[in-house]
Amino acid sequence: MARLSLRGIKKRFRTTDVLHGIDLEIGDREFVVFVGPSGCGKSTLLRLIAGLDPISEGSFFLNGQQMNEVPPSRRGIAMVFQSYALYPHMDVYENMAFGARLMGLSRAEVEARIAEAARMLRLEEYLKRKPRELSGGQRQRVAIARALVRKPEVFLLDEPLSNLDAALRSDVRLEIARLHRQIGGTMIYVTHDQVEAMTLADRIVVMNLGRIEQVGTPRELYETPANTFVATFIGSPKMALIDVTRDGDTIGVAGGGSQKLGRLPAADAEAFKVGVRPDALTLRRGEGEGLAATVVYTEYLGDNAFVYARLADGTQVSVRTAPGETYDPDEKVNLTIAAETAHFFSAADGRRMAA
Amino acid sequence: MPQLRLTGRGLWITVLIAPPLAFVALFIVYPIVAAFAYAFYDWQGLARGDFVGLANFHHVLFVEPYASWTRNAFTHNIIVFFALMVLQNGVGFILAYALWRELPGARFHRVAVFLPVVLSTIIVGYLWKLFLHPIFGVVNQSLKAVGLPFLAQPWLGQDSTALWALIFANAWHMVGFPTLVFLAGMQRIPTEILDAVRMETESEWVKITKVVWPLVAPSATVVFVLLFVGAFNWFELPYIMAGLDGSPYGSTDVLGLYFYRTAFGNVSAGQQDFGLGSALAVLIFVFIAAVASVITVRLRAREIQI
Repeated sequence: MARLSLRGIKKRFRTTDVLHGIDLEIGDREFVVFVGPSGCGKSTLLRLIAGLDPISEGSFFLNGQQMNEVPPSRRGIAMVFQSYALYPHMDVYENMAFGARLMGLSRAEVEARIAEAARMLRLEEYLKRKPRELSGGQRQRVAIARALVRKPEVFLLDEPLSNLDAALRSDVRLEIARLHRQIGGTMIYVTHDQVEAMTLADRIVVMNLGRIEQVGTPRELYETPANTFVATFIGSPKMALIDVTRDGDTIGVAGGGSQKLGRLPAADAEAFKVGVRPDALTLRRGEGEGLAATVVYTEYLGDNAFVYARLADGTQVSVRTAPGETYDPDEKVNLTIAAETAHFFSAADGRRMAA
Repeated sequence: MPQLRLTGRGLWITVLIAPPLAFVALFIVYPIVAAFAYAFYDWQGLARGDFVGLANFHHVLFVEPYASWTRNAFTHNIIVFFALMVLQNGVGFILAYALWRELPGARFHRVAVFLPVVLSTIIVGYLWKLFLHPIFGVVNQSLKAVGLPFLAQPWLGQDSTALWALIFANAWHMVGFPTLVFLAGMQRIPTEILDAVRMETESEWVKITKVVWPLVAPSATVVFVLLFVGAFNWFELPYIMAGLDGSPYGSTDVLGLYFYRTAFGNVSAGQQDFGLGSALAVLIFVFIAAVASVITVRLRAREIQI
């Protein structure tokens, strides 16, 4: 059982405000991912939950108990660090045993827990090795095992995959997902990589500049982003935002092309931008109906390809195309937007607009 | 066999290496070897006499009164070493930890702790000699001022306190050095490792003994070995504060003073004797080199790459 409740959390370093009031409820056994660009405050928030830094204002409750003043070691929280932070002078076994012994567990219990964690993370052969004798992936598994041994109610993972190479990253990602299913603790995972966030999370918390932009399931964030920040942050290649003028049910781009859209915000609504993901666009060669564009370059990915093109007003958009088709740079093309997958955002403040 | 042709590159290398090699040979290797050699001869003042084998060594180690002088001085060096290990390196470690944890005023204290290290030993020696003056010294004056006159002592004038007064002055002077070395070692510990410890315990004692101390092992090796060498070569401070005789009554006599007196003589010790002096010097050198090597090897084994 672990329910976390953050109420009006603020963090100030001297005079700089880093977090501007975070409200968030996290349920038992939930896998929550904090995602955002560097400097958005996601790691800071994690450190406040861990107790490594004091909370400047607001309250943090764990299972209804206020935790603001409780030292990190008494919160029932374990953390996996970006650099793994293994004790270099202890072998793998001692790294795991250190915290468990400090909890006052019996020798037999410590041994049993280590055996279990070592089995779950396939570390049995490495128990007598020092961290420096392990590969990056193995160190990462030790760091996770060390957290497991303490049987915490909450696991915090701070960018745990950022020091691994790409191939290993997807393996460990699967491993973390499997572990969460197996042990069922509450996990809070910080990353700047939206792919990690999308694949792992029950719920994603998108942060920017010390504020929460949106909280939701990966699908909610992808399909109904609350604003332009979330819209462009989630999804790759990112969503293009097109400034349009409106004339009835036709939208136009300054300097070239217009298109009829079957689905638009209310006729009397404020000015808006149209957000389109690579799948929402259809590309045809030559000039014609739709939005005029010029090919910038093509990204060939094997199973499909992305064409990057520039609209008449300079906005860059990406379009998913069949991998067999090739387009030359500077080739003239025209684009049409699929109305049902287009997003609309207020031109003034970037909020999502109903259509 | 490859030949070194004295052209181009080879010539350059030879020209650049020869002068420093000659310098080292003349001013470092030769004096050491010469001192070794002196120890095996009988000396009449500055005139070298007959080759006497190990007689000089036997004399300083086993013939009275030299034997008890040697024992006395050596014992004092051992006391100095262990006392400074606690007062200088131990306190240095604690200071370093406090500075590293950025306790209030850390910035000021970082300078304050290291400042005496910069002072010359001569100045520190005279300063403490004045501080410890039985009547006018600031130490006894202060004790009287706070109502503890019975604690006021002739610190440097009685054999029960003289050596400890010197040890204390030395610790005051040099404590900044181990502090600095330990602090540098602590600053190399990644912050995430400390965060990891904090997630598991809030006990400073556990943090220090189980994590910080093992991780500053390389710093410990450096300060332990240097202190050992320093303690057995101890000369300037006792010379300045207690004089060549290690007064009062040899209670501050150490190997350095004893060697100097024996080799070069002084008013109270009479004639200079290069042979016995060189024998002492060789013994001190061999002892320091042997033990320092053992300490280094032992301590290196427990160092860990962070």
